[in-house]
Amino acid sequence: MKVSMDCVGCGQCAAYCPYDAIMVFGRAVMNDKCIECGTCIDYCPISAISGD
Amino acid sequence: MKASIIGSGLGGLLTAAKLSKAGFEVDVFERLPFIGGRFANLPYKGFQLSTGALHMIPHGSRGPLAQMLSEVGANVKIIDSKPMAMIRKENDEIIDFGDFRNELPITKKVKLGTILAYSLKFKPESNISFRDWTLKYFDDDFLLRLADSFCGWALSLRAKDVPAREVLETIGNMYRYKGSGVPVGGCGAVTGALADIIRSNGGRLHTRSHVDRIIIEKEKAVGVSVNGKEKYADLVISNSGHAQTCKLYDCKDKDYLEKIKAVRPSKGIKICVSADEPLIGHSGVYFTPYTERINGINEVTHSDPNLAPAGKHLVMSHQAVISDDIRREIDLGLSDLKRMFPHKKYEILLVQSYSNGWPVNRAASGKDIGNRTPVSDLYIVGDGAKGKGGIEVEGVSLGVRNVVREIGIA
Ligand SMILES: Cc1cc2nc3c(=O)[nH]c(=O)nc-3n(C[C@H](O)[C@H](O)[C@H](O)COP(=O)(O)OP(=O)(O)OC[C@H]3O[C@@H](n4cnc5c(N)ncnc54)[C@H](O)[C@@H]3O)c2cc1C
Ligand code: SF4
Ligand code: SF4
Repeated sequence: MKVSMDCVGCGQCAAYCPYDAIMVFGRAVMNDKCIECGTCIDYCPISAISGD
Repeated sequence: MKASIIGSGLGGLLTAAKLSKAGFEVDVFERLPFIGGRFANLPYKGFQLSTGALHMIPHGSRGPLAQMLSEVGANVKIIDSKPMAMIRKENDEIIDFGDFRNELPITKKVKLGTILAYSLKFKPESNISFRDWTLKYFDDDFLLRLADSFCGWALSLRAKDVPAREVLETIGNMYRYKGSGVPVGGCGAVTGALADIIRSNGGRLHTRSHVDRIIIEKEKAVGVSVNGKEKYADLVISNSGHAQTCKLYDCKDKDYLEKIKAVRPSKGIKICVSADEPLIGHSGVYFTPYTERINGINEVTHSDPNLAPAGKHLVMSHQAVISDDIRREIDLGLSDLKRMFPHKKYEILLVQSYSNGWPVNRAASGKDIGNRTPVSDLYIVGDGAKGKGGIEVEGVSLGVRNVVREIGIA
């Protein structure tokens, strides 16, 4: 998953990730628990996440 | 009459509730999978965190939002915080906000009373900042720090970045409506109750529905395109601020576009904490003028214990963002917490930061440009178009009040 520079670090994606795979500290970073399910994409309020 | 509403934030939902109650056929289009925007609950590890707000209604059960909720019949219980606010002093002693004048030498105390009374009546017309205004009368470290703490908490700005008249307007409203409260169930209970009302009035809420264009005919809004499909309406209300909204149509009004450019959103950081024991002991605001960054803290579980798992407290700090180095800003906030609560047992749940496209306030205080647009039948609601002197959701409500008045349904 790719997080664009637009990410503000609001943590919404982290709360909705079913695999607890996102750490947020100023911005979102996915760790190796990510299985690329794509859930987080829809929950980002500024469409900062894309699936490649 | 048909109304299309772009966005299901508090402003969009309040407007939808008002319009549907007045007989409009209302559709609310929300691009996210849930409603409420920055005033929704965010379930996390058994806590009800939030997408934005600190679960606080600035003027509690008697303010503009509470009034509007009761007008539309939304069933929300707001618990007014007692005490309303406390201040942590330099020596870590805690005093009631109402007693802060006692911290001043007697001459300054008397002077403050007179100047505040005068200035609340006759607000400065110039753009003098709240910091310079304070300095003009008092060279006092405690007052300047308190000004920053207050502006940081309420507006996510430093006192030097807000016009004094805006802050005085806010203080005036604090006297008028008294302050703050916590809705039972958190901020999501407010937007949830509004959604129920809209549905019971026959309105429709559509999630995962992105408005990609506003349809304009002869300088008049006549509908929206949602996920590529055109939907016609008599009235379009946008909850996404002036800057985002004008990108949804071909706006040619240069003056308006210039005005929009001058609008700056405000940035902030919220640190969500799980505590095994109370850190502050009440659900009012805990102002922290003697920190590096944190402006204030609240502990909402004293009003609604269900916002945390049994036996835990939900504590949230807020700070305005001062530099561009966001990680450093967060680190400074975390050190503030460590210094203030050295022997308490707590754990950081989530650090949430807000800026640019998803800010604390779309229009920083004093920069609002009203609810109208160059296009007729297109209005802006939400925190990019607040009513005068209303902070946060109170300002959102005052803005909605202006719009429904213009539409003619009051
Ligand atoms: C950290 C923080 C703490 C805060 N604390 C408090 C507090 O304690 N008390 C308080 O009163 N206020 C607080 N606020 C401010 C408060 O959260 C906001 O003022 C309020 O929620 C803004 O509501 P709004 O009506 O502007 O809508 P928003 O919340 O901005 O919602 C707009 C909605 O429109 C949707 N949208 C946008 N564009 C489109 C489109 N093209 N198509 C479809 N949908 C679209 C968005 O997805 C969003 O859901 C806080 C804010 C933050 C960030
Ligand atoms: S793609 Fe799925 S697993 Fe990966 S971070 Fe997003 S929500 Fe989590
Ligand atoms: S939801 Fe979007 S903006 Fe928020 S932290 Fe995740 S990627 Fe960043």
